[in-house]
Amino acid sequence: MRSEWRDGDRVRMVEVAAEGGGRYRVTVDGAPFGVTAARLADGRLSLTTDQGVTIAELTAAGARRFVRLGTLDFVLDRETGGAGGRKARGPRAPGGGLESPMPGVVTRVMVAVGELVEKGQPLVALEAMKMEHVIRAPRDGRIRSVAATAGQMVNGGVPLVEMDEETG
Amino acid sequence: MFSPAGMFSKVLIANRGEIACRIARTLREMKVRSVAVCSEADRGAMHTRVSDEVRVIGPAEPRVSYLNVDALIAAAKASGAQAIHPGYGFLAENTAFASAVEDAGLTFIGPAPEQVRAMGDKRAARALAIEAGLPVVPGAEGGDGAALAREADRIGFPVIVKAALGGGGKGMRIVEDRGALDEALASAMRVAASAFGDGAVYLEKRLAHARHIEVQVAGDGTGEAIHLFERECSLQRRHQKVIEETPSPAVDEPLRARLTEAAVALARAIRYRGLGTVEFLLAPDGAFYFLEMNTRLQVEHPVTESITGLDLVQLQLEVAASGRLACRQADVTRRGHAIEARVYAEDPARNFLPQAGTAVKVRWPAAPDLRVDAGIESGDAVPVHYDPILAKVIVAGETRAEALERLVRALDESVVHGVTTNLPFLRALARAREVERGTIDTEWIERDFLAGFAALASAPAPELALAAAALGELFGLNGAPQGKAGRQRQSNVFAALGRWRHPGLD
Repeated sequence: MRSEWRDGDRVRMVEVAAEGGGRYRVTVDGAPFGVTAARLADGRLSLTTDQGVTIAELTAAGARRFVRLGTLDFVLDRETGGAGGRKARGPRAPGGGLESPMPGVVTRVMVAVGELVEKGQPLVALEAMKMEHVIRAPRDGRIRSVAATAGQMVNGGVPLVEMDEETG
Repeated sequence: MFSPAGMFSKVLIANRGEIACRIARTLREMKVRSVAVCSEADRGAMHTRVSDEVRVIGPAEPRVSYLNVDALIAAAKASGAQAIHPGYGFLAENTAFASAVEDAGLTFIGPAPEQVRAMGDKRAARALAIEAGLPVVPGAEGGDGAALAREADRIGFPVIVKAALGGGGKGMRIVEDRGALDEALASAMRVAASAFGDGAVYLEKRLAHARHIEVQVAGDGTGEAIHLFERECSLQRRHQKVIEETPSPAVDEPLRARLTEAAVALARAIRYRGLGTVEFLLAPDGAFYFLEMNTRLQVEHPVTESITGLDLVQLQLEVAASGRLACRQADVTRRGHAIEARVYAEDPARNFLPQAGTAVKVRWPAAPDLRVDAGIESGDAVPVHYDPILAKVIVAGETRAEALERLVRALDESVVHGVTTNLPFLRALARAREVERGTIDTEWIERDFLAGFAALASAPAPELALAAAALGELFGLNGAPQGKAGRQRQSNVFAALGRWRHPGLD
């Protein structure tokens, strides 16, 4: 089974092949290693490698996985992959949308469809937990669509504004 | 209405989250009934579960719920509470609220409204501190832009422009040189006008490498006041405290005597009533300056409770109910060292962006010298509308080194999954050499720690973490089916309990 995971700024590729008897061949970013895995209670996995036994504690929240190894916590996001898959957070490649970086309430929408904007220009302000976060234009361009309205509550990763690259 | 001892029989808690839970605990301890209030977004939240009664006071937005003075007073009246505890934040330092509570014939568990007002205006507070003989940071209280510019030249750059009605770092601007001053003043006045309803600003000289030391005081409202030693809160990020401790590693006995004497002098001079905190900046040369006074229970009060053995919420209730301090200065002693770390719903790997969602799994460690003040349990929602503080992890030790070691362990053993928290940041901070040495100041995190932490936080996760995530998908540990099974089990439990219910109780 192949899966892709967002780990901070990077996307990590994992392939898992069952070898029988609870043994798996796991390949992370092209590097293979053997793991003997057993499911324990309460979202825990026992993972045995040639380094020894590690108990991993897994918690799912939507596409997000909280992985605890010993006393260290890691956060990984399952990438759905394919054409509709979300490949990156925040400002995308030209033509893409600008997404809410966090769940929050849209407090101000500072641009309208068709408007020309300059790199760094504030587009939308979001507020969460008493903090305001301003989403700015990642480059010069024209606003293609505005999905955000003031007062609206949004989840993290929701497209708020789409921009076209300014061609002339 | 009052119990034989003169104590309230019922108190409304005008707050939410960890502090509402904290206050409810003392009320229960004192056999006073507690009334929780909640917004519609907080129905079923932990603070409503640990209180005796709950009143829903309005929609999610704080303005129409936790900041809604009329709704809060109506809830107190309807529930038969005799007093309101405001906690911290929200309306805790709001003069209009304190007055409205007293006008409604209820007791505000805090200082007199005029004391809230006087300390809420930072220029007035500076003037009162000067009058009481306290040293203040060189600065200028009044006048227009031109007058402030002349004063800035006199005290020397860099200076800090602050909103008169601000506080806690809100609306602050650091100005490095004369050229940037006019623009900074204009901008600060605009921000102050929109955020605090008053564009008044004042100037203070910016002290380099200063530490934040504050003194806990309590007064009876007639001029008698005591102190409960100091706390150091220099570990801050964007003026937001992250880790606090007591005693301060930078304060020796002679300095402690001078700091606490100054704080008590101010509390006495204004006949302060209730619990308050006098904040100081401590310069590297050992000089200290009054910063502001907070007229409420502080977030970091548990470290003081830890070393003194006092319950500060109980102390507040006793002063409010009787007008007397239950302990004299001579009764207040301290032992050991205590440290608190604040667990926030924010992503330290992504510029500390606020986080919300469901705290699917929450687990705190337990140990003899450990206390956790939490506002969430497993499965609780973390709404976007409120302060991001989730919990406080408080440890104690005979020595600072022992307490710090315990903090490292306690943070390692604290688990919050489902909502991203600053726990990795706290764990790194608690291990930092400068923290261990105590050689920190209020700008140390941003100046010397954040860059190294960012590198650490952006390092790739180990292969085994990826393997665990991928194997978890294979084993069905990806949420949905498990959650469903869990709910199923839970409803069966309730169905089973239902059979044992008394017929007359339904």
